[in-house]
Amino acid sequence: MQCKWLMAIAMASAYSLYSFAQQDLLAELDAIAPPPAKTYVFATFKGTRIINQQSVELPASGVGQFVIGHRFGALNDQPLYNLFGLDVAQIRFEYSYSPKKWLNVGAGRSSGSKTYDGFAKVRFTRQSSGSGFNWPVTTAYYTNATIVTTPFSDGFDHYFTDRMAYSHQLLVARKFNESFSFQMAPTLVHFNLVQTATDKNDRWGIAFGGRYKLTQRMALTGEYMMRADPGAWENDPYSNALSIGVDIETGGHVFQFHLTNARSMADPQWMMQTPGQWGKGDVFLGFNITRVFTHVAPEL
Amino acid sequence: MKKFFLVAGVMFISWSSFAQKMISRDTYVHFYSATPVEDIEASLKDGIGLLNTVNNQFVFQLNIASFTFEKALMQEHFNENYMESSKYPKGIFKGTLAGNVDYNKAGRYSVTMKGQMTIHGRDREMAVPATVNVTREGLVEIESTFIVKPSDHDIVIPSLVANKIAKEIEVKVKSTLRAM
Repeated sequence: MQCKWLMAIAMASAYSLYSFAQQDLLAELDAIAPPPAKTYVFATFKGTRIINQQSVELPASGVGQFVIGHRFGALNDQPLYNLFGLDVAQIRFEYSYSPKKWLNVGAGRSSGSKTYDGFAKVRFTRQSSGSGFNWPVTTAYYTNATIVTTPFSDGFDHYFTDRMAYSHQLLVARKFNESFSFQMAPTLVHFNLVQTATDKNDRWGIAFGGRYKLTQRMALTGEYMMRADPGAWENDPYSNALSIGVDIETGGHVFQFHLTNARSMADPQWMMQTPGQWGKGDVFLGFNITRVFTHVAPEL
Repeated sequence: MKKFFLVAGVMFISWSSFAQKMISRDTYVHFYSATPVEDIEASLKDGIGLLNTVNNQFVFQLNIASFTFEKALMQEHFNENYMESSKYPKGIFKGTLAGNVDYNKAGRYSVTMKGQMTIHGRDREMAVPATVNVTREGLVEIESTFIVKPSDHDIVIPSLVANKIAKEIEVKVKSTLRAM
C-alpha cells in the first residue's frame, strides 16, 4: 500500500519536472546567453552637419558622402525681386570618405570668397549603455583648413599663407532619448592674416547645436555659435551665428532646410565672421542635400 | 521497502537522462526582400537557440541590431525607423517542434515548427516547415525557410517607399545545436 503511494508521488514529481514550461526555456536562454554586453547609441543626429556646424556623426566605414549646400541671399534684400535671395545664392559642395568607422576625411569648396577646404573628423568615444564602462557622450575632433582664393584688394603684397584659416572643434554630443539630441563644441579658429597688428589671430568660442525629432523622418534643428572675446578684433561688425532648420530624411538622402544669419558656409567664415543680424532681418535661407555612396560594403 | 528503493532509484536515473537540452550560439538568419525596384537583404550569425529534445520545445532569439546590410545607411534606417530596435531589441520564436524525430539516430527528418513569433514587439502564431538533420556526432542541424509579413508585426512602411519593400519577406534560418 505504502509502495503504491510513494510510486505515485515519485511519478507525479518526475512528470512535472519532465514537462518544461515554455517560459522556463526562454528564461533559461536568457540566463545562459545573456543579451549583448553593450549597445552603442546610433543616429545621434540624422547627418554629419547640424546646420552650419559639424555633428558627431560620420559616414560608416567604407562609405563616401557628397554634400551640396545652398545659401541664398538676404531675405530683407528685395525679397520678391531677388526671389528670396535665390539670384545671389552661394553654393558649397564637399565629398568625404570614411576609411574607418571612426575616421572621416574630405575636401570641399564654398563659393563665398571662393574658399577651398580640406577637413577631417575623428570620433573617439561612443555613447553606450549596458555592462561595463559606458561613455555618456559621443565625442569627436573636427578640423578644417581653408584657402580663400579671391584676389586681395588692399594693395599690399601678400604671402600665400595669408589666405589660410584653420578651425578646430571638440564635438561633444549626447542622445538623450529617441527624440532629442544636444551637442556642445569648444571651438578655436585661427586666421593667418588679421586686419591690424593688435588683432588676435586666434578666436575662441563654443558652438551649441540640437535636434528634436518630430516624426520618424523629420527633425527640427537649431544651433548657436557663441564667440568668446568679442573685443579680439578692432573692427568687428560680426554677430554670433544663430540658425534654425528642418531635416527631412528619405531613403538615401537627407534634406536640410534652414534659416540663418550666416552668409558663408566655410567654417572660419560662418563661425567668426557672420555679418547678419536677426533683429534687422538679415536672414538667409539655405538648404543642404546629402547623399551617401557605399564604396566598400561589409560582408554579409 | 527494497522494491520501493529499486523503483525510486530507477526513476531518478531515468529522470536525470530526461533533460537533454541543446544549444546554438551562432544561428545564421538571413532575410531577403525582392521587389522590381530594389532588393534588400541582410543577415546575422549570432542568433541563440535552445531545443529540448525530450518534449521538442524550442526557443530562438535574435538581436535585431545584429543584422548586417551591405549599405550602412539602410541598416540605420532598418533599426531606427522600421524595426525600432532600441524599443524592441529582440526577435523571438518559441514553440514546439512537431514531427517524429529520433535524436539518437542520424538522419534527416521533416518537421513543422509551431509557435509564437515575436517581432517588433508583436506576436503572431506561426507554423513553419523545417528540416532537422541529426548528425552522427550527435549535433542537431535545423534549417528552415519561411515568410514573414511586416504588416503582421506592425512594421510601418510609408507609402513613399512601399514599392521598395516586399510585403512578404523570405527568411532563412540555419542553426546547429549541440548538447549543453
